[in-house]
Amino acid sequence: MIEMLVNMLSMCIPFSVALLLASLGEMFNQRAGVFNLGCEGMMAMGAFIGMLIPFSAGGGGAVSQWYNVLGFIAAGVLGAFLGLFFGVVTVTFRAPQGIAGIGLQMFGVGTAGTLFRHFVGGTQSIPGIPDISIPFLSSIPFLGDVFFSHNGAVYLAYLFVPLAWYILFKTPWGLKVRAVGTNPRAADSMGINVSRTRYEALMLGGALAGLAGAYLSIAQAKMFSDTLISGRGFIAVALVYFGHWHPLQIMGGALLFTFAQTFQTQIQSMGISFPYELAVMLPYILVIVVLSFTSRNQTTAPTALGKPFNREIRT
Amino acid sequence: MKRLLTIILALLAAMSLFASGSSEAASDSSDDTIKIALIIENTIDDKGWCQAMHDGITQAMEMLPGKIEYNYAEKMAVVDAGSMARQYVAEGYDLIIAHGAQYKNTILEMAEEYPDVSFAFGTSSEIGPDNVFTYMPESEETGYINGIIAGSLTKADIVGLVGPVDSGDAARYNRGYVLGVQSVNPDCKILVAHTGSFSDYVKSAEVATSQLASGADMMTGSSQQAIGALRATAESPTAMWVGQDLAQLTTPEGQAKCIAASSYNYAAVIVGLVEKLEAGIKGGECIPMNFNNGGFVFEYNPALEAEWVSPELKAKVDEQIAAFKASAGVLSDWASVDYSTL
Repeated sequence: MIEMLVNMLSMCIPFSVALLLASLGEMFNQRAGVFNLGCEGMMAMGAFIGMLIPFSAGGGGAVSQWYNVLGFIAAGVLGAFLGLFFGVVTVTFRAPQGIAGIGLQMFGVGTAGTLFRHFVGGTQSIPGIPDISIPFLSSIPFLGDVFFSHNGAVYLAYLFVPLAWYILFKTPWGLKVRAVGTNPRAADSMGINVSRTRYEALMLGGALAGLAGAYLSIAQAKMFSDTLISGRGFIAVALVYFGHWHPLQIMGGALLFTFAQTFQTQIQSMGISFPYELAVMLPYILVIVVLSFTSRNQTTAPTALGKPFNREIRT
Repeated sequence: MKRLLTIILALLAAMSLFASGSSEAASDSSDDTIKIALIIENTIDDKGWCQAMHDGITQAMEMLPGKIEYNYAEKMAVVDAGSMARQYVAEGYDLIIAHGAQYKNTILEMAEEYPDVSFAFGTSSEIGPDNVFTYMPESEETGYINGIIAGSLTKADIVGLVGPVDSGDAARYNRGYVLGVQSVNPDCKILVAHTGSFSDYVKSAEVATSQLASGADMMTGSSQQAIGALRATAESPTAMWVGQDLAQLTTPEGQAKCIAASSYNYAAVIVGLVEKLEAGIKGGECIPMNFNNGGFVFEYNPALEAEWVSPELKAKVDEQIAAFKASAGVLSDWASVDYSTL
C-alpha cells in the first residue's frame, strides 16, 4: 500500500508540470483582466516547435541536450508571440475574449498539426530529456522517489511557483497587472498603461503555455501528434479558478488533479470492480465538485476579467 | 484594395506550402477499375488503426495491378464524414470505406441515399443493408499470441495492458491478451487500464508509467494511443513490449523494445471486397478477420528474436497460430474475461 502511494506521488509531480505551467500562464492573463481560452492552441504550437528542433537535429535519434533546451526556448518565444497576437485581437481591437480564445485554440491546434505533417510526417518520437537522480537526496526512502528523481524541467517549473508569487505580489509590475485586472480605469488614472501591461501579461502567459506544450513533447511523452494536448489547455483554465488566481493554490490544484489521474489509473490496474468510464472521469468530476463548492469564495477574482478597456467609454 | 490583395496573395502563398500530399490516387481510370475511397479519423501514418487500413489498400493495389484507384481523406470527424462521402459519390467512387464504428450512422444514411454505391465500415459484426459491408477483426487471436509471449517472458509475474476503451476490436484484443497470459502463466498478475481515448498519447504514457512503477515488466497496448505506452516502456531499462501493429516495429523504441507484433491484414479484405464488387455483390455481409482467413499477420522483431524468443516459446506460438489458422472461433469465450477478477 505504501509502495503504491509512493508510486502515485512520484508520478504526480512530473505529470503535473504541463498543467502547472499553463495554469500559471493563464493566471497572469486573467490577473491582467484577459480571459484566454486559446491556451490549448498555444500549448499545441509550443509542443510542435519544441519537438521539431531536437527531431530536426537528430532525426529522432540521440542529440545534445542543448537542442532540447533550444526547443524549450523556441516554444517559449513562439508562445509569447501568440500571446502578443492575442493581445492585438483582444486588447487593441477589443474583440470578445471568449470567441477570440476559441479561435486561437483552433488556429494553434490546426496549425501545429498541419506544420507537423508537412515538416515531420507521421507520429514520431524523440529521446527527450532524461530523469536526473539528485545525489544523496534521491536515495532518501520515500522522499527520494517522490521529490528528487525527476527531469530538470520539473525542478525549474516548480521553482517558478514561488517566483510567480513574488512577481505577482511583490514587484511593481505584479501590482500593475493586478490593478489593470481589477480596476483598469483607476489604474489608468494612476498613470499605468493598461494596454501595455495587458500585452506584457499575455506574452508572459503565452510563453508559459508554450513551455507547457514543449514539456509534454520533450520531457513527458517525448513525441508529438496533433492530439497531444487533448484538452489539457482547458483544464489549465479551470485550474486557475480552482486555485483562486493564486500561484500556490494553482500548484495545489495541478497536483490534486494529477493525483486523481494517477489514482484512477491505479484503481483500474488493481482490477477493482468499478466501471473504467467513471474512473476516467474522476479527475474532471473532482474539478467540477471543487469549483462548485468554492465558487462563492471568489473574492480574489479579477473584477475586470473579460472586459476590454476603452479609456474613452464611461461604464 | 491593394492591401486586401496583398493579404490574399500572402495567404495563398502560405497555403501552397501545404497543398501537396493530402491524397493519393493510383492508376488511370478504366471501366475495369474499382474506385475505392477511405475516410479515417486520424492519419495514414498513425502507426495504428488508420495506417493498417491504408497500408492494406496500397498492398491490395500492388496485388491487383491497375485494378484499384484509391483516394483517402484524413482527420475526418463524424460530422464531416457525410459531406466527404458525398463528394466521393459525386466523383464516381465504387466503394467508400469509413474506417471506424463511429461512422456507422453516417454510412447507413448514405447507403440508403445512394443504393448504387457500395459502403463499408468497421469494426462491426452487424450485417448491414445490401450495399454495406462490415468487417470485424477477431483480434482476441492476436491478443492471445501476444499474451503467450508476455506471460512466458515476464520475470516479475506482472504484465501491463493499456487499452483505449473497452469496446470493439480493442476489447477483443485485450481479453485475448489476458487469456493468452493465463494460458502459460496462471499466477501472473495482469494490470489492465483504459485511457478513455484512442488518441491521447500522453495519458497512454502515464498509464503505462503507472503500471511499470507497479512492477510490470511486459507491456502491451491497443489502438494508435498505444504508441504513447510503448514510448513510456522504452524508458524502462528492463520492461519489454508486444505490439498490436507491425508499424510499431519500425519505430526506434519498437526496434529496441517490441519483441513481436501482429497486425490486421486489410489487403486480404480489400482484395476480397474487389472480387465481391466484380461479382455484383455490393454489401449485406460481415467480413470477419482472423488467422484462418489471412486477416492477421504476425512477426517477431529480428533484432530481438534471438535474445528473447526461445525455441520452446516459438514452438508454443507457432502451435497456437497453426490452431487459429486451422479453424476460426477458437477463442469464442473471449467475452467472458472479467478484469475485476484478475
